[in-house]
Amino acid sequence: MRTYELMFVVDPRVSDEDVVGLTQDYRQMITVGGTEITKEENWGRRKLAFPIDKLNEGKYVLFYIQSPDGKTPLAAVEHRMRQNDKILRFLTVRTDLDLKRAGTRVTAVTAAGTGAGDGQAPTGGPTASAAPDTDGADRSDRAAGSDRAAGSDRSDRSDRVETAPASNAADTADVADAADTPEVGARGEE
Amino acid sequence: MARPKKVFYRRRKVCKFCADKIDYVDFKDIKLLQGFIPERSKILPRRISGTCARHQRLLQQAIKRARHLALIPFTTD
Repeated sequence: MRTYELMFVVDPRVSDEDVVGLTQDYRQMITVGGTEITKEENWGRRKLAFPIDKLNEGKYVLFYIQSPDGKTPLAAVEHRMRQNDKILRFLTVRTDLDLKRAGTRVTAVTAAGTGAGDGQAPTGGPTASAAPDTDGADRSDRAAGSDRAAGSDRSDRSDRVETAPASNAADTADVADAADTPEVGARGEE
Repeated sequence: MARPKKVFYRRRKVCKFCADKIDYVDFKDIKLLQGFIPERSKILPRRISGTCARHQRLLQQAIKRARHLALIPFTTD
């Protein structure tokens, strides 16, 4: 079983309907011989980090592909994309090996899901929903981090009130919070 | 001046990915990658960020993929 991610950027002047038609075409090309597209994301219009062909925006589409035998005609699909000048960029990434190498922590999460296609769990929840969702998950992650920080800060303060060794508490909090809350750590150490 | 010996703590750098238990660096996770591309959009070196070797490799790969898709800039002009 192999999994792939295929992402491509379409010229923003192409209408949304045409983008859908285009993705339909590619989907038909891909889904042969047991290969399936486990998830499809349409990120919509997005600003490019740098102009491509003097265009500043692009429409992003993403496929999560699952292939039982690795005989998916992805090379043909890529060839078609190369021919089509409405496709600004595309990228195919084989993910199953990396996800497997990522180890048990990931697979434990994925085991509950439909398969390795959902394996992005550690990088911000179910990435496979949509771009804004990913952002949301990210933010909640960070929020959780800062909550933790705030908690440690509070406990720190209460320690000081009780004249307990506040420095100790600060140290442990520091280790726990690691990199994400430098300010709190600094305050604790003083 | 008043205090000649100011005790200076150097924060021990911790690999963010180890700390957050991220084993697969996703090239689509722009929010995450953005933290490792400072002003000039160069990849932040390990020496600065404290990322461990394994995760720096994964990160590097992810950043390059994201760059190809114009999710992240190569340079800032």
